[in-house]
Amino acid sequence: MHDILIIADNLSYKINENRLFSGISFSLKKGECLHIKGSNGSGKSTLLRIILGITSPTKGEIKTYVKKNITYLGHKNALKSYLSVEDNITLMGLSNHKDLKEYLEKLSLKELLDIKVANLSYGQQKKLALLRIFLGNTNLIVLDEPFVGLDIENQNILSNFLNKQLQKERGIIFTSHINCDVDSKTLKID
Amino acid sequence: MKYLRLEVLKLRKKTRSWLGPILVFWLIMLAYPLTIEVSPKNLEIGFFSVLWIAILLSMMFATEDIFTEDYNDGYLEQSLISETSFSYLVGLRVLIHWLLIGIPISLLGFVFSLGTTENLSLSLLILPFAMMSSYIFLNLFVLGNSLSLNKGSVLGAIITLPMALPVLIVLGKSITAIQLEINYSGFIFLLLGSLSIIIVTIPIVVSFIIKAHLE
Repeated sequence: MHDILIIADNLSYKINENRLFSGISFSLKKGECLHIKGSNGSGKSTLLRIILGITSPTKGEIKTYVKKNITYLGHKNALKSYLSVEDNITLMGLSNHKDLKEYLEKLSLKELLDIKVANLSYGQQKKLALLRIFLGNTNLIVLDEPFVGLDIENQNILSNFLNKQLQKERGIIFTSHINCDVDSKTLKID
Repeated sequence: MKYLRLEVLKLRKKTRSWLGPILVFWLIMLAYPLTIEVSPKNLEIGFFSVLWIAILLSMMFATEDIFTEDYNDGYLEQSLISETSFSYLVGLRVLIHWLLIGIPISLLGFVFSLGTTENLSLSLLILPFAMMSSYIFLNLFVLGNSLSLNKGSVLGAIITLPMALPVLIVLGKSITAIQLEINYSGFIFLLLGSLSIIIVTIPIVVSFIIKAHLE
């Protein structure tokens, strides 16, 4: 039981009278990855928000055993466009992280430290936002379409990182339309 | 301390958000003598009313986008799932806004008061009233802003403006008491009492309102 990170039982979500999904059940153990698949508007992001405790399910129950030890990257990247890359890293609380330099080089962000986020491309912003995940060091990682906006090289960096986190007994839940090389089980919602 | 530092960084780098309300206050106080016949006695008559209203309006501007941007860019969601209590983060943000906007405005109020009344002891007494009222107004408008998070800040200000009226009345009465040299400490305690309740309750209420918006 102590290996369990999340247990979801018969989750349903409705917006007014429109049913988004129903009867979703799954569990996630340490070292496991759950890939949530579904068509546009099927409620993948909503399910992630239910897992995070931001949204409540209309029906069903979800138990998380990670006590807010979660890193999350949603559709919105939580970056401040008026701040520089360096200031955003400070804002994420990562400026003194021992692996920061390594990831800045890996993601080609090192030369962009003084540039305002508003002047970065979408892909560069995505990479900056992903630093939160790369340097997060939490038991559970939740990602909403993390591969969107990344080139092949950076998609591979992210896939490799996620696979390494699984070896470290961390749990991962993500949604993606892009085929990726992450060792995961699939949850399909329609 | 870490969150305090980060909130200061966010507000400090967004010049418009902290300098705007201070400029609004400064402009109102500068414009006031232009609207009346300039004589020391005339100036003093309406000065304190203008001062409190200027503080009220500046605090309204100060909270204009206190949560809107964070709501739109996903920063609030990150705050919500962080290990730190969300209501504590809300309270901290209000405190930072007060330190960077409310305190300078209160000090400017003291300077304008000294320039107008040429009475140092009266102007020194204005300072704690200005500091307390700015913190109260700030909290009230933060409440309004959270209520109208996705509907525009003006609506929120309209909702909470009536709640600021009793504070304006207390401020007016306290100035009268000071000028008539009667005991005004009751007004200070009244404001302090209100402030102590507001400081605790508003961040909790606002955190629940924001959670409801994010849901």
